[in-house]
Amino acid sequence: MINLILVSHSGKLAEGLKDLLREMAAETPILLAAGLADGKIGTDVGRIEQAFGNISDDALILTDIGSATMNAELALELYAGDRDIRFVDVPLVEGGFLAAVLSGQGKSLDEIITALEAEFKK
Amino acid sequence: MKLTTNDLRTALLNAADKMEEHKDELTDLDREIGDGDHGINMSRGFQAVKKELEAKQDFADLGELSKLVGMTLIKTVGGASGPLYGTIFVKFANTWKGVGEAEGDALVSGFEEALEGIKTRGKADAGEKTMIDVWTPFINALKSEGDLSHAIDEGLAHSKTIMATKGRASYFGEATKGVQDPGALSSSLLLNELKEALHD
Ligand SMILES: [Mg+2]
Repeated sequence: MINLILVSHSGKLAEGLKDLLREMAAETPILLAAGLADGKIGTDVGRIEQAFGNISDDALILTDIGSATMNAELALELYAGDRDIRFVDVPLVEGGFLAAVLSGQGKSLDEIITALEAEFKK
Repeated sequence: MKLTTNDLRTALLNAADKMEEHKDELTDLDREIGDGDHGINMSRGFQAVKKELEAKQDFADLGELSKLVGMTLIKTVGGASGPLYGTIFVKFANTWKGVGEAEGDALVSGFEEALEGIKTRGKADAGEKTMIDVWTPFINALKSEGDLSHAIDEGLAHSKTIMATKGRASYFGEATKGVQDPGALSSSLLLNELKEALHD
């Protein structure tokens, strides 16, 4: 099942979103790379890399703003593992909803990305 | 113009001191049109670089030095500046791999790759009130053997007058006109030190 990695500046925002997605797709693995140590606001490439190390299948990254996206793209460039991990630039909440449901239905990474792009990149 | 590995190392140590001197100014500017962390972030990142460079004095080439600096900045700066400044040095490292001294086209291409790298990373271009508005005239002057100091100052002054359309500052719209972009200012500090490292 495709894993979702939520990259946000805020730990609370990501935790809240995870709760929300759980209601729609209880089985979809969701990993968080959000906030900084000591609860501060920010994104950290190290936390994204940590999430990469904990995925159980191929994965999709969704981000909130600015440096979340930059750090996600940077982490992907530095990634040397053999999972297929991809980033798609769509709204975090709405995109997360669709991606979590589709992953729960057993869709492939390609299918999920195609659906997200069709929905959000009109 | 020529850049040696040892001169780049010295320039980075000096840049770390400059970031420290301007720490509050960078943070205050970021408070006006951003999230108020730029000076703190740049200080933390460049102090970490300083520590690495004081611990290791001899580098095989510009590539090895740049790689260490890039990875250190990525890990320590935070914000959007971590990936952006990190990318500059990762691009230097790729371009100058195995190169002890860069001059002529090799020197220019390192800077060009770095600029392309930050444009791609930030999805930004010249004229959006970012660090790119300082790097672009610097590189143009480097290519045409023009006055580097003048290019940095002009880029910085022009970027102050325009409106931000990228990054956090863009949410402040018209209010950004007349305010110095903190990333443009920190880039001018770094480029002024790199300029000092370039010799005929
Ligand atoms: Mg900031």
